[in-house]
Amino acid sequence: MASVAEATTTTVEQKKPKLDIFGKKERAIVRDPLWDNNPITLQVLGICSALAITTSMQPALVMCIALTFVLTGSNVVISILRNMIPSKIRIIVMLSVISTLVILVDQVLKAYSYGMSKELSVFVGLIITNCIVMGRAEAFAMANKVWPSFLDGLGNALGYSVILIMVAFGRELLGAGTLFGLQIVPQFMYDAGYVNVGLMLLPPGAFLLLGVIIWIQRSLSKQYED
Amino acid sequence: MSRHSDGYTFMFATGVCVICALVLSLAATALKPRQVQNAKLDVLQNMMSAVGLDLAELKKMDAEQVLQLYNDEFEVLLLDKDDQAADRDFMEAELIALGFPEPKIKELDTGMLLNRFNGSKAILAARADKKLKDYDPDYKIVYIHKKDGKPDAYVVPIVGYGLWDIIKGYIALETDLNTVKGVSFYEHKETPGLGARVTESWFKDNFKGKKILNGQGSLQSITVVKGKADGGPHQVDGISGATLTGDGINQFLKADLQRYEPYFQKLRQQGV
Repeated sequence: MASVAEATTTTVEQKKPKLDIFGKKERAIVRDPLWDNNPITLQVLGICSALAITTSMQPALVMCIALTFVLTGSNVVISILRNMIPSKIRIIVMLSVISTLVILVDQVLKAYSYGMSKELSVFVGLIITNCIVMGRAEAFAMANKVWPSFLDGLGNALGYSVILIMVAFGRELLGAGTLFGLQIVPQFMYDAGYVNVGLMLLPPGAFLLLGVIIWIQRSLSKQYED
Repeated sequence: MSRHSDGYTFMFATGVCVICALVLSLAATALKPRQVQNAKLDVLQNMMSAVGLDLAELKKMDAEQVLQLYNDEFEVLLLDKDDQAADRDFMEAELIALGFPEPKIKELDTGMLLNRFNGSKAILAARADKKLKDYDPDYKIVYIHKKDGKPDAYVVPIVGYGLWDIIKGYIALETDLNTVKGVSFYEHKETPGLGARVTESWFKDNFKGKKILNGQGSLQSITVVKGKADGGPHQVDGISGATLTGDGINQFLKADLQRYEPYFQKLRQQGV
């Protein structure tokens, strides 16, 4: 990841003084965390929430939207401030910015989607401690201009979201036979003796699914850790 | 000023704090009316779900429909120490005298007013120069669910400590004032995935049809047990990993039923 960040910095800041909105490098910033450097499957960050709120699609989707807002928002703000933040207190400044955004999300959820905010309970607040957010602020936004930082935030949030949605899809479909609360597994299957896999709704179900997803993703992308 | 000087660091930190605080207080103030409305509605929906109305269906309704249903089917009763019907004037007067704005107090529904009053009881007692137990009018609230004009269920609030913090809920009894019609929990801070599962329907459904009185007609309440329940009318299965939450529920469920027992006894004798 560091190499990509550095490469982008040099390209954007030195070779192209005019802003390239969606050039090759910018596309790479968004694409990279989706596949080659996915925050969940390759860096294995932020899996606490990935395991906790993926029993069904709806909370997972709301969580993804919340994280996307926080991650892109914090990347943009930190990037704007990057030349002003005293390096001694940079972590606590990042934390303040992130917490502010998270509390904002929490307040909006309470006002406009009360049921969902009750269902997600502490996990919205726990976005503050999601390593992806802090990690991107420190590794990317502190060293890059606003637009690339925005894209990096978006890319990482999408990378996180894709995996979360996949896990939630598997868990809700196998565990409850539904998707977004709608019955998917037809009644005749149950009549023929099919039983929902209750294990999928429990935390171990999430571990199993996530493990399988990581396995498949890493074998396809040929990215291994030694 | 250099970016590495202490003065700059302090200035920057202060600036960040002030701006973050400003943004958050603005957002909180602007969103508060909606949040309060939502919370109120949620409490009401949970109270109504205790008598067997489907919570998911209630959640799909908009605010007006819920209030309509509440006004049509529920009657709220405020009782004093001697189980006589009390009116809310005393509580209103006391709270307004304490400095709460009058229009706000007047528009609270009785349940909310009682909560606010109970929260301020210690101060009010000190103000009246009485001991808390002498001052306390010990008001309690009962919601009566009516079907075709006749009582169908009695709902009373249950409140007490779980493992981490206060759990709030309702229990609904059939007209025999013995059989449980349903329970619901709407506010808690139990561990997600463990104690927080008290809000799941399988746990709440366990209580349906259980009895609060033993064979001799005295209050026995219902116990959440560790391990497997005996299948009898006074035990329900607990939640794995949440024994202490269950213990908490056992305590406050019994205590709260005890408070209402004299009133229930009267009703039973009247044979409603």
